[in-house]
Amino acid sequence: MSAYEFLAKILSEKYDVDPELISADATWDALGLDSFTIVELIFDVEDEFDIEISEERTTFQTLGDAATVVDECIRAERD
Amino acid sequence: MRGQRVFVTGLGLVSPHGEDPAEVFDALCRGESAIRMVRTGTPELGTDILLAPVEFDPDGRIGKLDQVFMARAAQLAVVATRSALDDADLLAEGGDIEQAAVRIGCALGGAEVIQRSYKTYFQRNSRRARPTSVPMTMASGPASHISMQLGIHGPAHTYSIACASASVAIGEAFRSIRDGYHDLVIAGGTEAMLNDGSVAAWKRVGVLATERSDGAQLSCRPFDLERTGLVLGEGAAILILESEQRASARGAEPLAEIVGFGASSDAYKLTEPSVDGQAQAVRNALKDAGLSVDQVGYINAHATGTPAGDRIEIEAVKQVFGSAAQDLAISSTKSMHGHLVGASGALECAVTALALHERRIPPTAHLTSPDPECDLDCVAGFGRDAQDLEVALSNSFAFGGSNATLVLKRA
Repeated sequence: MSAYEFLAKILSEKYDVDPELISADATWDALGLDSFTIVELIFDVEDEFDIEISEERTTFQTLGDAATVVDECIRAERD
Repeated sequence: MRGQRVFVTGLGLVSPHGEDPAEVFDALCRGESAIRMVRTGTPELGTDILLAPVEFDPDGRIGKLDQVFMARAAQLAVVATRSALDDADLLAEGGDIEQAAVRIGCALGGAEVIQRSYKTYFQRNSRRARPTSVPMTMASGPASHISMQLGIHGPAHTYSIACASASVAIGEAFRSIRDGYHDLVIAGGTEAMLNDGSVAAWKRVGVLATERSDGAQLSCRPFDLERTGLVLGEGAAILILESEQRASARGAEPLAEIVGFGASSDAYKLTEPSVDGQAQAVRNALKDAGLSVDQVGYINAHATGTPAGDRIEIEAVKQVFGSAAQDLAISSTKSMHGHLVGASGALECAVTALALHERRIPPTAHLTSPDPECDLDCVAGFGRDAQDLEVALSNSFAFGGSNATLVLKRA
């Protein structure tokens, strides 16, 4: 499962986000997530892909940007 | 002059025996145990242990996003509160619950969250932990979530006094109505600490029961010669307490009346009880209620099934009641629902209220070889009709030496 696919799945299944709102361009605001919830979401991603995302890399504002960072971290971990 | 009379007008349970108070009470009166062997830890590194767990699925009952922020103890408490308010007919339009107070007993809060948080912290090189661990581990989390989920704006306070938590919460709720501070209080307890880490620690305390060869469900045997210890349970029990004025104004049918509360401290040992301390709590409660010992017909005992604890409670009862102790019925329903720790006082207070209402005393299950040192009428076998039952006590005695006794009267 790609980072984006995982994010879309967990947003819908765990964080109760309307699937119709989920897109690469969607901002956290548009998805209805506050900063506290986003940090929790990052932990879910880290657990799923066995990676750690440094705090300075967690300034992403959209779902697509978040997926890009996660993909980069997965590649870095693999290399 | 005494203040307002205080009535129990609703019950909500999420217990090892289920959620319907009448069905739970009937099961207890049939002597049915909810205790079983449960695997904790992992198949390789775990252990089988006696527990009284609750079958509970939050899906459909707690919103998905809310589940992210609510520990199991909070989820159980919110569901039990909704049931209790519904039972009291207060959920409908005009229920006027916004200014109610919330008084919840909880010993450990989000126990499973503490475990998960520490596990994450120590497993990660970065030594980071989830931010939700902070609000989810609070013992006060359940009271806060009751307030938020039900739109309650009165004070939402938590009493964390180990095994006496819920009895103190109910006692303080009773007093706050009697003394005119509130006319409606959501009171009770919740506990969910059957996670591996908590259970493993309890196992080493040396107070847990061992499995019986004739059936795991028979393993918790208060007042019996063959008792070996307590069985941990989990759950939530909520009582709706209302002033007589409020209850009668809306035509509510009270289940029972709470008439007294007494508390004391042993000032003795952390995990060893004291006869004098327990007796003092019972005396204080009866004095608070303005009742004499010969007016009490039944005690729902704290008796957890430990060899020392049950004997000491019997001694305490004898010290207070004197010769009147011989006319008392005393039973421990923990033999069937286990020890709910911070919620135990609430479940047992609910059972006591039902006993008064149904005029039926639930038994101490599996009491087949009574301990000669526990030589009172400990109600072996099944429930017993008690047409003359008017007053009953519910005892809760905690690690740390905190003792609490509630006095209930038939309404």
